[in-house]
Amino acid sequence: MSRGRTALIFGIGGQDGSWLADLLVRRGYAVHGTSRDREASSFANLRRLGLFGRVHLHSAGLNDFRSVAQVIKEVRPTEIYNLAGQSSVGLSFDQPVETLDSIVHGTVNILEAIRFLGIDTRFYNASSSECFGNTEHGPAGETHSFHPRSPYGVGKAAAYWAVANYREAYGLFACSGILFNHESPLRPARYVTQKIVRGAADIAEGRADQLCLGDLSVARDWGWAPEYVDAMARMLAHDQPEDFVIATGRLHTLEEFVRLVFDCFGLDWRRYVEIDPGLRRPADITHSVGDPGKANRLLGWSAETTMPGVVAKLVEAERIRRRDGSPAGNPAGSPAENLMSIPLAVPA
Amino acid sequence: MSKVALITGVTGQDGAYLSELLLSKGYTVHGLKRRSSSFNTGRVEHLYRDPHEEDVRFFMHYGDLTDSTNLIRLVQQIQPTEIYNLAAQSHVHVSFETPEYTANADGIGTLRLLEAIRILGLEKTARFYQASTSELYGKVQETPQRETTPFYPRSPYAAAKLYAYWITVNYREAYGMHASNGILFNHESPLRGETFVTRKITRAVAAIEHGRQDCLYLGNLDAKRDWGHARDYVEGMWRILQQDEADDYVLATGETHSVRSFVELAFGHIGRGIEWRGEGVDEEGICQKTGKVVVRIDPAYFRPTEVDLLLGDPSKAREKLGWTHTTAFRDLVRDMVDADMAAIAGAGLQLVEPAE
Repeated sequence: MSRGRTALIFGIGGQDGSWLADLLVRRGYAVHGTSRDREASSFANLRRLGLFGRVHLHSAGLNDFRSVAQVIKEVRPTEIYNLAGQSSVGLSFDQPVETLDSIVHGTVNILEAIRFLGIDTRFYNASSSECFGNTEHGPAGETHSFHPRSPYGVGKAAAYWAVANYREAYGLFACSGILFNHESPLRPARYVTQKIVRGAADIAEGRADQLCLGDLSVARDWGWAPEYVDAMARMLAHDQPEDFVIATGRLHTLEEFVRLVFDCFGLDWRRYVEIDPGLRRPADITHSVGDPGKANRLLGWSAETTMPGVVAKLVEAERIRRRDGSPAGNPAGSPAENLMSIPLAVPA
Repeated sequence: MSKVALITGVTGQDGAYLSELLLSKGYTVHGLKRRSSSFNTGRVEHLYRDPHEEDVRFFMHYGDLTDSTNLIRLVQQIQPTEIYNLAAQSHVHVSFETPEYTANADGIGTLRLLEAIRILGLEKTARFYQASTSELYGKVQETPQRETTPFYPRSPYAAAKLYAYWITVNYREAYGMHASNGILFNHESPLRGETFVTRKITRAVAAIEHGRQDCLYLGNLDAKRDWGHARDYVEGMWRILQQDEADDYVLATGETHSVRSFVELAFGHIGRGIEWRGEGVDEEGICQKTGKVVVRIDPAYFRPTEVDLLLGDPSKAREKLGWTHTTAFRDLVRDMVDADMAAIAGAGLQLVEPAE
């Protein structure tokens, strides 16, 4: 296989995998990607971006060493991006073992495969602001201490240190991008940003009369996902492997987010939003904001779109989606996708 | 006592039909689905209602057969009276690429569910159905295959399913659990995945009729299978769990038909006769209505290692369960063609949507 610029993206079907594939295809890379089951996945995000058929797809389970090593050996990528794994903080409380297995064991399997095959490649691992936990003393930079508050965050913290350890122990070009929240229309409907945008659109169309949400006082640093995948590519183009915080540096509450979304539809959010304490997480992060100074200095990267722009883009995309009909894989207001709000039938 | 079913793999073909059947019988149905970035609930979307409404009896939960504590928690919360383990990495050829994951989900995943029942002390109240498969017979030791035919698995998928089969038997014998295997031969429907040959044919027939495709490429036209309708087979699963004694059953039609015959019936249903010309890889199927070639052979689809004839003997199920397939082969083909024709005409979009 050619050793031109070839990228292998673990987890190409997700939001970030699909945006990154889009970016790298446009830059002339041969792009390969994996999903746990190539035959069964609908790759709705790739289809929505017009990429299906333009990238090479493989089946690989991150907790299956053979499948990881085999696909790396076949593709011989110059760059590997690990964007796979269980990605929902909320779900990680209900599915902790699979969450840790896919994130920690999965990352170590890729590092071990690179080491075992001895191939010359650069490795990006998707780390997360969830490693930091609360950042109540101001924006977190790369040296901010870790204090994860969910099984997801615990897994991401362990994977972060595995990447650092393989870089130091074996000299691998391996780095972690510590990304703060980044959104786009490709998020599944169960994520709170999509839940809010779709819920407000349903109310505006008269198809719903209320939206149930959890704690609105939590504050986050929200950016635009397509810009964040550009930061990933810049990290691997940097002259040495280092870890970077990727964020906007701006903090907004969930209530501000909700208000702006409803404003876009000409609605007063207070009339429609119900607070359901059952949607709160067992442990949540109150403040999460990052300091992207290092990425700005060394990678020339900074966020163009801050929270109000993110909201405007999400709302616009939702309007287009509803006007043009539902693209495969994203039926409008699909209730069954909104699984996180389903109460479990707890026996007395 | 009200009946509460837990179905793993609820988003698949069998999960969707079984959910419909059990809801029609008054059950409360809880389905487990695996996380995915892509939409994967197309087959059960029509069953779902907001749980805030009254009298909702269909629920979905995220679950994963590789996560023991997740399964234990769900079984504890749901307190099912019947558990149907239909979840699996079910593609034979994918199992060669991800053998460890396949063994983990399909083999040890079954053990995790059985252990969840045991740890929670539900051995006497929860009945367990394990979705076993005719792939267990692989390199067949006798024809037709019945419950006593020795297994000879030929793929990591079948080897994992073999473990699941025997651990189910073992938990029945060791702990007195009502745990049974259904050894199901091929069962198809309009909800079949698009990569399976039957669905590939019926989708192509619809696409050719609507001018969206010219030709259908197939492998061995004379390959024979024991094909039934999935709707009949989920009835068999349910009957297995209604028996006083847990046991293992083959569910099959006991008939075989060739891919060629499937193709002829599918095109025939929309008024197009097929005339075959040529031999071997050069054989072509010509539409008698238009004179165009609509079927060609692509040797890439040949499977030289999969030559054995899988033909099931459903006598035991007929005698003990009173079960027999009720959908004739011809009607199965018609049902699938009709659904794909309706889907391509825009009347049933969920059927063309690739679902997990």
